[in-house]
Amino acid sequence: MTAMIQLSNVSKWYGDFQVLTDCTTQVAKGEVVVVCGPSGSGKSTLIKCVNALEPFQKGTILVDGVSVGDPKTDLPKLRSRVGMVFQHFELFPHLSITDNLTIAQMKVLGRSREEANDKGLKYLDRVGLKAHAAKFPGQLSGGQQQRVAIARALAMDPIAMLFDEPTSALDPEMINEVLDVMTGLAHEGMTMMCVTHEMGFARRVADRVIFMDRGHIVEDCAKEEFFGAPRGERAQQFLSKILQH
Amino acid sequence: MNYHWDWGVFFKSTGIGHEIYLDWFITGLGWTVAVAMVAWVIALILGSVLGVMRTLPNKTLSGVAGGYVALFRNVPLLVQLFLWYFLVPDFLPESLQVWFKQDLKPATSAYISVVVCLGLFTAARVCEQVRTGIEALPKGQSNAAYAMGFTLPQVYRHVLLPQAFRIIIPPMTSEFLNVFKNSSVASLIGLMELLAQTKQTAEFSANLFEAFTLATVIYFVLNMSLMKLMGWVENRVRVPGLIGSTGK
Amino acid sequence: MMDFSQIIPALPALTDGMLLTLRLLGLSVVGGVVLGTLLALARLSDRRVLSGLAKFYVNYFRSIPLLLVISWFYLVVPLIYNWLTGSFEPVGAFTSCLVAFVMFEAAYYAEIVRAGIQAIPKGQVNAAYALGMGYGQAMRLIVLPQAFRKMTPLFLQQSIILFQDTSLVYAVGLLDFLNTARSKGDIVGLPHEFLIFAGAVYFVISFGATLLVKRLQKRFAV
Repeated sequence: MTAMIQLSNVSKWYGDFQVLTDCTTQVAKGEVVVVCGPSGSGKSTLIKCVNALEPFQKGTILVDGVSVGDPKTDLPKLRSRVGMVFQHFELFPHLSITDNLTIAQMKVLGRSREEANDKGLKYLDRVGLKAHAAKFPGQLSGGQQQRVAIARALAMDPIAMLFDEPTSALDPEMINEVLDVMTGLAHEGMTMMCVTHEMGFARRVADRVIFMDRGHIVEDCAKEEFFGAPRGERAQQFLSKILQH
Repeated sequence: MNYHWDWGVFFKSTGIGHEIYLDWFITGLGWTVAVAMVAWVIALILGSVLGVMRTLPNKTLSGVAGGYVALFRNVPLLVQLFLWYFLVPDFLPESLQVWFKQDLKPATSAYISVVVCLGLFTAARVCEQVRTGIEALPKGQSNAAYAMGFTLPQVYRHVLLPQAFRIIIPPMTSEFLNVFKNSSVASLIGLMELLAQTKQTAEFSANLFEAFTLATVIYFVLNMSLMKLMGWVENRVRVPGLIGSTGK
Repeated sequence: MMDFSQIIPALPALTDGMLLTLRLLGLSVVGGVVLGTLLALARLSDRRVLSGLAKFYVNYFRSIPLLLVISWFYLVVPLIYNWLTGSFEPVGAFTSCLVAFVMFEAAYYAEIVRAGIQAIPKGQVNAAYALGMGYGQAMRLIVLPQAFRKMTPLFLQQSIILFQDTSLVYAVGLLDFLNTARSKGDIVGLPHEFLIFAGAVYFVISFGATLLVKRLQKRFAV
């Protein structure tokens, strides 16, 4: 398998404080990797390094062979090929749902309005929200907004998708509608890197699980191994806390 | 003491040409609006550019904008006006100096000075509003825009500024009103705007209560109308489902 | 080309001008805050007439230029003084300017005080009532002290603006700092130098005060 996302010895500091230490892992094409760990473990920071939303000081990250940290890299171009979904959805509140879906297609990829519209509406339909195309983000529920955000990212035809705690800002009854969309995506063979606490999702969908603690990658193994075999104390503690509720 | 009230004074002849006092007020209002509108356009454009600069990661650019704001907000408006009107022309190249001091009508050179002065003065205040508006947006918004491949100018153009300008309409409204009120300093360099015409009427007619009452009524009505106008603008650009603020 | 040396002999006069500016500022701030607080209390009162009047006062003064108020009061205050007392004693530009500033700034201070009072949770007033206090006591002992603490930075900011605005007394010929600098500059034939000097002094004072306020704000915030 070729690695779509390859991280080698990535380290990052905020001033004197080291948030990431020597993180090495990879996500193969078509693979679904779940990243978990306690809050403050650096998992969100790690995933934001992949599309250079966070700079890092040491190590290399390759996305489809392109080095993220290289100052010569065309970052907008690289980012336009990687979809990202955020904890707080981050739809643009001043734009209608349709405009949210099309703006980057037109302004970044240079697609025509018709093409962007067709593509956007196709994915909006896929996440089951075609009827809401003319509305504004503030008029949708959290779960609906997050599904639109996924459609928005998919409309860019990404080679991989990054999910940064996509369900942790949602009311419990809305979590599943979002996880269902993500599951469908995984079954279609999308390359996915997901920071999430949803261990049920990890158990069902993930190929591999990465466990982080205090900026280190402590566990990085196949799903079966992570949920089955004995593992480090911190991961055990974390899992028992997560699975209690 | 006897004060001779006469509310009909505005329709009396000024003794200069065929003008009645009301004509003076109308001319004055015209100058006031002409000063304020042009100064506001300058302030809006320059202030927005400076406001964006203030929020950029580039230290030099944000420092320049910060210095501009500190300078223009901490020197009294009247001092700035005197600098623009009395001092700056002396530092212009010879030909421009002749043009400004001799070829232009006195009213025109005063007008240019006050418009530049008020525009640059107000730009510093607009800058701070724009900056506040941009900084009030959640960090996730620019992250999301970058994540879709937007360049820095695109992030501002399509995501940050349209939202920031909506948020700051109320404070911008009061800056807009301030420009009209501040334009009255033009009377101190001889531009015959509303306040100057009022004083002149008070002196010529000796009906100073009536003159100043009319002036305050005009300012009051002007203020109310502009507020209505801005309220209409705010309504026009309102986004459904978004009341006053952005975010979750 | 510029000759700033002539400013030195003019320093005593400039100092007098600055003292007048500061005296006008100090008295206007005190008067404005007192009148402004009364206006804010009137505005928040249950009596409709009272709150209506206060609202009109505030809206009225906030919609007209300060310079108009200064010019008007300069002409009108002596007349009113004369009506009230029957005396023809001249009132003087300083007094008329002071009245103008107090009445004008009161409208701005009133809005600050009103926002400050409204920011105090209703529970505080209820607790004061529950302890048997009357309206006056609740305001004086409980609400206003808390409100004033929160409002201090805004008061100071407004006062820095007022400091700059005192230069508008130029319109009625009062010899404040700016006007002294202007006239001295004209006398010695160096208007530019004196104007730049005046601007620099205003800048240093209000920029310094702004920095100080920011620091105070940080300390209050923690």
